[in-house]
Amino acid sequence: MNLTNLINDLLGFWSEWLRPSAGLPTVLWSLLLAAAAASGHLVQRYLGLPKVVGYSMVGAVAGLAGFEGAIWPLRGISLFLLELGAAVVLFEAGGRLPLRWFRHNPMVLVQSLLEATLTYFGVFWMLQLLGLPDPVANPIALMAIVASPAVLSRVIIDTRASGPVTERAMTLATLNTFYALTLGYAQAGLIERAPQTLLQKLYPVAVVLGLSFVVGAILALALRTALRFMSPTSENTSILLLALIAAASALTAHVGGSAPLAALIGGVLLKTLNPKPWAWQRQLGTASSLLTMLMFVLVSIVAAQADWTLPVASVVLAVIGIRLFAKIAGVAIANPGSGASWNQAFWVGCAMSPLSSIALLIASNFTTASPLLGTMITQVALPSILLMEVMGAVLATVAIHAVGESSVPWTPQAFSTTEDTQR
Amino acid sequence: MTTAMPLPDSDDFRSAALPADPASRVVKLEPFNRSEALSLGVELELQLVNTHDYDLAPYAEDMLRLMAQTPLPGSVVPEMTSSMIEISTDICHSAQDVITQLSPIREALIRNADKLNIAVVGGGTHAFQQWHERRIYDKPRFRELSELYGYLSKQFTIFGQHVHIGCPDADSALLMLHRMSRYIPHFIALSASSPFVQGQDTQFDSARLNSVFAFPLSGRAPFTLSWKEFEAYFERMTRTGVVRSMKDFYWDIRPKPEFGTIEIRVFDTPLTVERAAALAGYVQSLAAWFLQEQPFEPTEDDYLVYTYNRFQACRFGLDAVYVDPASGQHMPLRDHILMTMTQLEWHSEALNATQALGELRTSVEANRNDARWLREKQGKERLLAEVVRQAALRFRGGGA
Repeated sequence: MNLTNLINDLLGFWSEWLRPSAGLPTVLWSLLLAAAAASGHLVQRYLGLPKVVGYSMVGAVAGLAGFEGAIWPLRGISLFLLELGAAVVLFEAGGRLPLRWFRHNPMVLVQSLLEATLTYFGVFWMLQLLGLPDPVANPIALMAIVASPAVLSRVIIDTRASGPVTERAMTLATLNTFYALTLGYAQAGLIERAPQTLLQKLYPVAVVLGLSFVVGAILALALRTALRFMSPTSENTSILLLALIAAASALTAHVGGSAPLAALIGGVLLKTLNPKPWAWQRQLGTASSLLTMLMFVLVSIVAAQADWTLPVASVVLAVIGIRLFAKIAGVAIANPGSGASWNQAFWVGCAMSPLSSIALLIASNFTTASPLLGTMITQVALPSILLMEVMGAVLATVAIHAVGESSVPWTPQAFSTTEDTQR
Repeated sequence: MTTAMPLPDSDDFRSAALPADPASRVVKLEPFNRSEALSLGVELELQLVNTHDYDLAPYAEDMLRLMAQTPLPGSVVPEMTSSMIEISTDICHSAQDVITQLSPIREALIRNADKLNIAVVGGGTHAFQQWHERRIYDKPRFRELSELYGYLSKQFTIFGQHVHIGCPDADSALLMLHRMSRYIPHFIALSASSPFVQGQDTQFDSARLNSVFAFPLSGRAPFTLSWKEFEAYFERMTRTGVVRSMKDFYWDIRPKPEFGTIEIRVFDTPLTVERAAALAGYVQSLAAWFLQEQPFEPTEDDYLVYTYNRFQACRFGLDAVYVDPASGQHMPLRDHILMTMTQLEWHSEALNATQALGELRTSVEANRNDARWLREKQGKERLLAEVVRQAALRFRGGGA
């Protein structure tokens, strides 16, 4: 009897036994999240690695063991949860996107455009070289543009980081997420069509961007109105924020836009309308952490379902290598005049290596749009995402420590000589 | 240099590294250099904050790198923790001169801060920063001080203004220093801008000075009007091994023999460079009054009420009670400040400081200082991060 049959038998037994309760999937997901929470804690405490590594490991083990809680390509509640998690992260990231910075320091925008362009063409060229057809190489190259703001923000929280490299990496990650979401969602609709004219190619981009902008604007206006009479430090304001993002996510997906993109745009617009510092992050606290943890577990469960073969591994490693090189090169080439040192530019490039939920959403969209091409896209996309969710988090942590922007030493908490006293 | 931190010149400042024989520890005080009487120098310690949640941000190194590319008067140097920088003027001759030098420095700071996506803020404390999150600036001397003082060095993330005033000779400097001591409460109340510490209203207008008390050798200089006696005191102190240079004394006012000045160190950094220049003009006018009219002789007994007056000014600002050291008379500090301003009118005119003193007088008459401005903003916004944002706008020259 193989492992899958054994698990199926056990699940069958438990599903009989648990019939009167909320249902077996609820129990399994709850236990999985509990294991992920414990694993994240232990990984940080005894290995000094970011918590997200623990979450991903638990998800990967569940995925490899054949856990069927998330079916690829994503749909239904798992798709919504992933979009919601990404939307919450991107709403906050949008609120941190300093538009006035680009006016005072346009080189940051040049760095962003250059690293995104180099990443796209670098990965596209590499995949062509390895013999993949353009309709497969294009989605993977688009996915590679993204530097996960979700992973980066968790690493920043874990390391209590602040400083020029941290801020710049987060800004560039938010910008390239914006590009990739806009292009990725738009092109997914075209995958089985062959647009001839430029207008035909741009039309879907305008539709995704336009619809997402409308929902994002409604979200921003609703929150701006709420903030006129609600305190930003109130717990109720945080709940209102979360509920409105959830509604906006569901609405955007329904009308054909991108839920994470709408949230990102909503964050940017709200910050523009209401330049006061945001204070609800602390109130969102555990709810937001739970949602992002769920997102990381979900991503790695799905990503672990990929077929791991030697040829696939070679392609994945080539994609990851060229992507890292392109990001570092893009940031470095446009570094003169941007106010950062060469050392900082190098580490900004490294800090942008994580891949996670946004890349998975883009890949999922392409796979849904074309199941045939989707199989080939999935073969490369899923292992890359799983690997870079873990390795990217570690590399981002290395970058933050290398430039001295962490407020905690990089030793496992269990062996740290400085005590982190809690009340 | 931090507001009141002893910054030893040598690396081996800890007692373990001192010579065993007390006699061999003795260091001679350097001679009091010549400087032009009533010349001025201003140093301002400033906060670097991010533009997201307006907490302190470790950008000192980046800021210094960018500032070094712009030719400016004075200097910009690092401070104890990586979210602080200190700017200073060259030698000035009037409050007008001070603002003429500080303005281009401020413009360059704003330009570079915009480039780095941070903001520069005045004020004696950051309203809600957590001391344990601060990082010591990567410089051997700061690291060693941090080892010696432990958490005090991070708690010393406070921001002051120092005003140097040129004295004709060493004895005159001590006379000037002890006369100036009577006006310490005036300086504190006029510059107070640190009501919030670690996210709480301390009920002090200047809570910054409370942080200075934790350090040894704070407070007042010993009373002597003779430089010879002061030299002897300094040598006795170095024999104990506690002191190795004048920098180890972090008195409210201390002589600065290498510059030929006395240095007043009780001011909180104001929210604007204009107010910093006006305060320098007030100090210069007082010094001119002392030099030209010799209005009173300081005595040791002046210090009987010194600590009480200082506390009153820190706690209540312009609403403090002032005890006149000579007569023992109690009066509102605000009235005594206005009285001195009237006494200084002629001297301020001669020093081109009429406008500076006029601005200070207007604010005193309206019972306003920067601490009150910060409290009013917090009363309206109920969010300290927003208060810091508005203070950053004020430093740029905007904001009410």
